[in-house]
Order: sequence, then structure tokens, then C-alpha cells
Amino acid sequence: MHLSKEIYAEIENIVGPENICGDPAIMPSYHDSEIGAVVLPKDAEEVQAIVKLCNKHKIQFIAMSTGFIRAQIPRGSIYLDLRRMNHIIEINEENMYAVVEPYVTSAELQAELFKRGLNCSIKGSGSQCTSIIRGHGHMDISTSGDDRNQLAMEWVTPAGDLIRLGSLGSVNEWFCGDGPGPSLRGVISGRGSGDALAEGGVITKSAMKLYHWPGPVEFPLEGNSPNYNLKEMPAHFMIRYFSFPSVDKMYEAELKIGESEIAFELMGFNVAMLSANVSSSLEKEIQFLEKAKKEVQGPGFYVIIAANSQEEFEYNQKVLEQIITETGGKSLKLVEDPRVAGILLIHGIRICASIRETFRSRAPGGKAYGFQIMGQRDVCIKWIGEAAERKKKLIEKGLGADDGGVFFGWSVEHSHLGKTEIFFDPSPDPRSVEAILAWQQETAWNALNNHLAVPTHLPLEIIGPRVSNYHIWSKKMDEAFNPNGVTIFLPSLTG
Amino acid sequence: MSLENYQGYVERCCRCSCCKFVPLQKVRGIKHSYVCPSISKYNFNAYSGGGRLLTIKSMLRNKTSYNDKLKEIVYNCQMCGACGVSCNYAMDIEVMEPISEFRIRCVQDGQTHPALEKVITSLRTTNSMVSVTGKRSDWALGMNLKDITKDKVEVFYFAGCLSSYEKHNLAQSIARLLQQAGVNFGIAGEAEMCCGGRAYQMGYEADFLAQAKKNMALIQKTGIKTLVTGCADCYQAFKVLYDKFNLKGDLQILHITEYLRQLIQAGKLTLSRRVDLNVTYHDPCRLGRLGEPWIHWEGTQMPGTRYMFDPPKEYRRGEHGVYEPPRDVLRSIPGLILTEMDRIKEYAWCCGAGGGVNESNPEFSIWTAKERIEEAESTGARTLVTACPWCEKNFDEAIKATGSKLKVFDIVELVENAIQKGDTNAPK
Repeated sequence: MHLSKEIYAEIENIVGPENICGDPAIMPSYHDSEIGAVVLPKDAEEVQAIVKLCNKHKIQFIAMSTGFIRAQIPRGSIYLDLRRMNHIIEINEENMYAVVEPYVTSAELQAELFKRGLNCSIKGSGSQCTSIIRGHGHMDISTSGDDRNQLAMEWVTPAGDLIRLGSLGSVNEWFCGDGPGPSLRGVISGRGSGDALAEGGVITKSAMKLYHWPGPVEFPLEGNSPNYNLKEMPAHFMIRYFSFPSVDKMYEAELKIGESEIAFELMGFNVAMLSANVSSSLEKEIQFLEKAKKEVQGPGFYVIIAANSQEEFEYNQKVLEQIITETGGKSLKLVEDPRVAGILLIHGIRICASIRETFRSRAPGGKAYGFQIMGQRDVCIKWIGEAAERKKKLIEKGLGADDGGVFFGWSVEHSHLGKTEIFFDPSPDPRSVEAILAWQQETAWNALNNHLAVPTHLPLEIIGPRVSNYHIWSKKMDEAFNPNGVTIFLPSLTG
Repeated sequence: MSLENYQGYVERCCRCSCCKFVPLQKVRGIKHSYVCPSISKYNFNAYSGGGRLLTIKSMLRNKTSYNDKLKEIVYNCQMCGACGVSCNYAMDIEVMEPISEFRIRCVQDGQTHPALEKVITSLRTTNSMVSVTGKRSDWALGMNLKDITKDKVEVFYFAGCLSSYEKHNLAQSIARLLQQAGVNFGIAGEAEMCCGGRAYQMGYEADFLAQAKKNMALIQKTGIKTLVTGCADCYQAFKVLYDKFNLKGDLQILHITEYLRQLIQAGKLTLSRRVDLNVTYHDPCRLGRLGEPWIHWEGTQMPGTRYMFDPPKEYRRGEHGVYEPPRDVLRSIPGLILTEMDRIKEYAWCCGAGGGVNESNPEFSIWTAKERIEEAESTGARTLVTACPWCEKNFDEAIKATGSKLKVFDIVELVENAIQKGDTNAPK
């Protein structure tokens, strides 16, 4: 045990003996390090008491919900496993928000919302993750992403104060994150480089913005796992995958679709990701990919239309058809097959196949190198497009896993904003990781020197002076909110 | 396969937590979204499917050693296989096999549980998984059944330990239905021995193999080609585990629900009497997801970063378990209404009785059953139907503990009730 008996007993008094464990037998199942103890608080009061105790004894802590992140946790630190905080507190249909605890998954929340004709933003990491995570996902064109969906919150700061943010702090209501009342959303969820929940302190409840859902209460499914499929396409739903002659044409189509507000979803899967998504095994994925590669003309995305009426459905289809014609897009016949369309649709809306696209084909450890950038879509395309060209050259030399040198991305809101991502897995060549790290550094410096983005993968002291001395303000915030340095900031999942 | 053979698989757990939930596409709300009893009860990640793989990974790297907590984690698992189904929706890895192999390794290393030791010690002398009271064939007294060791029969009805010693009604019902359908069947009487399946679940591979070899020697001597059983554990042992160890040969294994469906479809059983019940059906793990056939495969890893093999490896993902036969049988009963629970088929919640938990931690076993009772009640059904005596027994105990008004029946009992008493050869 890496925690003194006295401190262990103090925590035990807070949560009860069955909700703390310091036995080395459970640690490998967390993060393969010498964690002091794993603690299972049941509510904000217990979280606050533990965090105060950590401050008192200068012990570092980290909070995690479903735990889909890998990081080295410092020896002797406290791991707050929020598993017991798994309640939906309220679904407010009138004001369109849901108040949830951290261990409510997106899959659970979305299923409850569908029953009420509502939907929520789900992050690309998958619906097995917490519903209050900050980040981006497939439905960003209609639900937006990042902290746009986080409304009022209850937050235990790294120092152990319990703060009610936004309207919760002024009128005890959950409808707004920015006021009337204190707004610290940028501090608690916009800072740092990672997508982790609670980059500082612990979010113990959050109100999440909700959206209209034009679809059924449940998708009518047939088959058994892993081959579920739609029995029939729901009324007024359609999905197509389009490829384009160039990245520029693809983005032109994205922009027009975004501005015309006809799409429920626009996701820029490249064909490798598409193949992974619709295939129930690696072998089938490769077979699908070989066929898809022959059919596509260039980069692409898939679009879901989900309308409320036949008239709206027909209008949306016509507009989409016009945009695709104008931009030289070509529909992938493979996805026009109702069986494939059905799979892609249910995965695209319930976000339940992210692991296929990310980890099924990845080398053990799941470490991916690359960039995940939210920003002005056309600028990010320019930046990452160049990185993709250099990636291809490394692949040709055998210094990276061959995925065709692709990058991908998708629209947020009206497509002026977007998420652009590029991954680069090592090849078996022993020089591969070093080459990829160098590629990563060059890509980051390109962003900085050419004013394209504020990149990750460079020290804050280098980035800070270029962006209003952010590093100084960041340090001041640390001193204010995290005076004892006990909260653990995690690196990005894939950074 | 030894535990070391699974290193490549356990290394690939990405800790996504999918193993804790029903396949995400099947999540219907905040209730009944969890699929693994162990992590649901004990909460620490080590109790989940992924947590177990990560623990095995650490053991294989010599970073973790046995201690009391580790043993407590290892034995608090019903080995129900639900984690594997949810994982295998996306990942191409083995989940249940390394977990099972780790338990076998624990037993080989002497890291056993005293309650399970007691059960296995008894098995070695009595050939039974349950306490022996009376003779194994007492249930068949007065039924005038054929004996496979003496008579020429086409079908061997294997009653199993629980039906033989405790659930006489189930064995008798099955025998009467087979008689009614005119099946030329027999039983092994005092020569019947435990299938060994539950010993395997507990980690006692050698004892399982001893039972399997004895059973197959008896069967081979008779030349019987078809075995029918009403116990899901026996079914999985004969059909899947015996095949895994190349002991099954060409013996056809049928669960009674599969056989009843055949008999009903062939017109050999007519269900004409109304059974006005609103029921819900519980899929036994070893008839459902773990009842899918074993896949024999040998191959080598292909070069590259993708974990693929030559020839391609086909995973047992729970897709081909026995799900429709029991439902078809229920649908063929006049007047009966079947209402499904939230967690069914390959992602059904376990009854709690498996993996030795019933013996090693009865409180956890009953807790698991109570969760299922609550789920069954939430459908509005007043009757819970299952197709395994172990499930039925555990549910009965949970109902006693909760005071629930839910009734529990084996599907066979309902079929028997649906046969007109006036019919020729109708059950008595």
C-alpha cells in the first residue's frame, strides 16, 4: 500500500470500507501504476471531503468516470472512480436540458432522451463514455460540440471548494452555463490539452443541452451481436457516403450542407474508418476497404438526413442532391446497399462502434500519434493536409503503418468550424516511433510559425508567448484553483 | 491452451469499459444497461472483464502476485461470458478464454477457494456436483424408462446432477414428454455421472476432463448418437467443452428446448391446452451466448501491426447461441404471452448461479438473481420461465429472500401443462 494507514482510515471514514481499496491486486486494472488507493465516492459531498483531505495531506488525486484514458498516475495518488455517481438527476423537456452525474454514459442518456423525442451530443470516443465529457462527435453539425453543450455545473475545485457554476450559482437553476452567475467553463473544461473529464478538480453534476430528435423511440433492430442491423430504415431517414475529386471540393460541399441546415449528421470518415465501422471483424473490414477503395474518387464523408415530415425529407434530399452535383461528389454504391446503410446509420447515431475505428486495428497499448484539432475548418484542412503529405512519404519508407496517409474531419455547426484529425500509428520498423515523433513536432511548429492553429505537442512556454502570454495566465489560474498542486492534469488520450 | 497463449489478446484491452455494459446499440435507458454482475456488485474495475484481462496481463509480466484480494476477485465471477459479447462487438480478442484459463492456473497453483475445494472433493467420490441424497436414478422410479447400458435406444436423456438429486420434477417432466412424443430414449440410471462442466467453470480442468472421459466412454460403448439434456450447464459441457478438448466425436447434443421444438414442428407433440400466463424468458448463459459451438482453429499471427491470423480466426462472439428454440416453444403454447426483458439473448443478465459463485459466495449469487427478478417484474409478467435447473433454483431462492410474487417455471413444465390431459399418452 502506498498510502499511510492513517490517511487510508480517514478516507475510509468518508466513503465506508467497501468503497476504498489500496490492495495491489486491483491496481493493474486501473493504470498499471502504484496508485495509493482507489476510492468510490457516492456524491459531491464525499468527493469534496476527499479532495479537502488530499489538500491537507498534499496527496495528488485524479477523477475518472468510465476510465477510457491511459495515463501514468503518480505513485501514491488517489484515484476517484466515479462509478457510483451514475444517476440522471433530471430531464427537463421544457427547457431542453438533462442534469447528470459523471458515470451516466451517453448511451444511457440518449436512450432515455429518445423516449422523449430528444437527443444529446455524443463524443466520438463512443457512447460508452460519460455523457458530460467535453469534446466532439459525429452529430456536431446539429448538436455542436466541445463545451457548447455544458450548461450549469457543480464543481469541486482542486482546492476542495464546491462551486455551482452558471445559473445554478445564482438562481439554483440548471439552464445556463454562463449566467446569471459565475461562469468558469473555460477554466474547468477549456483549458489544457486533453479531453479528460475534470482536468482540474471534479465535475460532480452537469446540465447538458438537449436537441430535438425526429426519429423513433428505439431503432427496430434484428440480428445478434456483433451483427445488429436495422429491420427497416425509419421514416424520413437517409444515409449516403460521398467521395469528392479533391479536399477543396469536399469542403465546399461540407460548407454548403452546413449552411443549408439540411443534415442531421455529417461525419468525415475516410474509407478506412468507414470500413471499420460497418465490419464486424478485421478480415471483413479489409475486404470492405478493398472494394471501397476501388469506388471512391477521393476524400469523403457520410451524411444522415433525419426529417420530421415527408415534405421536409424531400426538400433536404433535393438540396443535398444539388450540392453533391455542384461539387462533383459521388455516392458510394456500397453504402447505398440497405444492409450497409442500416449499420452505418445506427452506429452513426448511437455512436457505438468507435472502438472498431480506433482500437481494433491498433497495436497493443492503443497509443496513437497525431493531432485532433478543433478550429476553423478550412485552415485546419490546409495545415493537416500538408502533414498528411509528409505522412505519406514516411509510409513509403516503411516508417509508419500504412493507412493510405489519410486524415479526416467533420463539420461543427454550420461547417465553418470543424474538427480535423490525423492519426499515425507506428510500423514494426524500430525507427518508426522516432520518425513519427519528429513528424509530429514539425507539424506542430508549422501550425505555430504559419499562424494556422495553436498546436498541442509543444510546451506551454513556447506556445504561450504567441497567444497573449497564455502560459502566464495559465500559471496564475493554477495558483488560484490548484494551490497545493494536488489535481492531476492528464495528457490528451491520443496525444 | 495455456494462459501464456492469450498474452496477445490481453495486451489489446483498450480499457474502453464496453465490457461493463450491454452492447451499446441495445442500451435502452439508465436501467438494465449493465451486463456484468461482478463489476455491478463490487464496483472496482478489477471485477470487470477488461479489468480481469489487465490483471492477467500484469500477472504474465510478473508484476502482480497472488494474494487474498486477487483470489477474491478471481472467484467472484459467474464466468457468464457477457463481458466477452460486449467487447467482441468491436474488438477481435478473446475475453472469456483467458479469464477461464486464469482460474485454471489459480487452481493449478493451489490458489483455490475452500468452498469449491469441498465441492470438487465430493465430486471425486460421488460423481455429483450436488449433495447426494438417495440414488441418482430415484427420480425415474416407476416410470419404466429404458436403460442405455442395457437397451438399444436412439436418444440418451442425460438428467444431470441437479435434476437427478434435487429437481426430480424437471427430469420426470422431460421423460414424460419424450414418452408422449414416442421417442426411443433411455437414461443411464446409476451409471450417469456429472458432466464436469461446473468443475471446469470453477477452474478444475483436470476434474472436468476426468468426468468428460468417463461419460464419453459410457456413451461410446452404447453407440448412441444423440444426447438430450434439460440442463444448460450439461448442454454446454457436452456440446462446447467436450468438443474443445476433442472428446465429443460426432455425438449430437440437443438441449431439451431444441428437441421439443423439433418434436412440435414434426407434429409429435401437440400443444392444444391453453396456458394463460404472461411470462418472460430468461436465457441461461450456457444455453445462450456460451452455448454456441466451439470453433477449432489453429493459426499464426500475420506480420504487421494488425492482430490478424493466417488462417483467419473466427471468434465466438455469442451470435450463434440457442436463442430462438425456447422462444419458439413458448410461442407454440396456446394462451401464453411472452414479454421480453431489457437484457436478453446474447446480452442476458446472468442468474448468478454459475462459475462456482453459488457455492463460494451465495450472497453474491442471490444478489445477482435478485437483479434479474426485478428486471423480470418490470416487464409486467407474473412468471419467469427459464431452461436450466440451476437458474430456476437460484431464482427460487432469490424470490424467497425478496418476497416477490413472481413464479418461476422451467419451460418444460409449461409445455407439459399445454398438453391436453385427455390426449393419448398425455402426461400424468
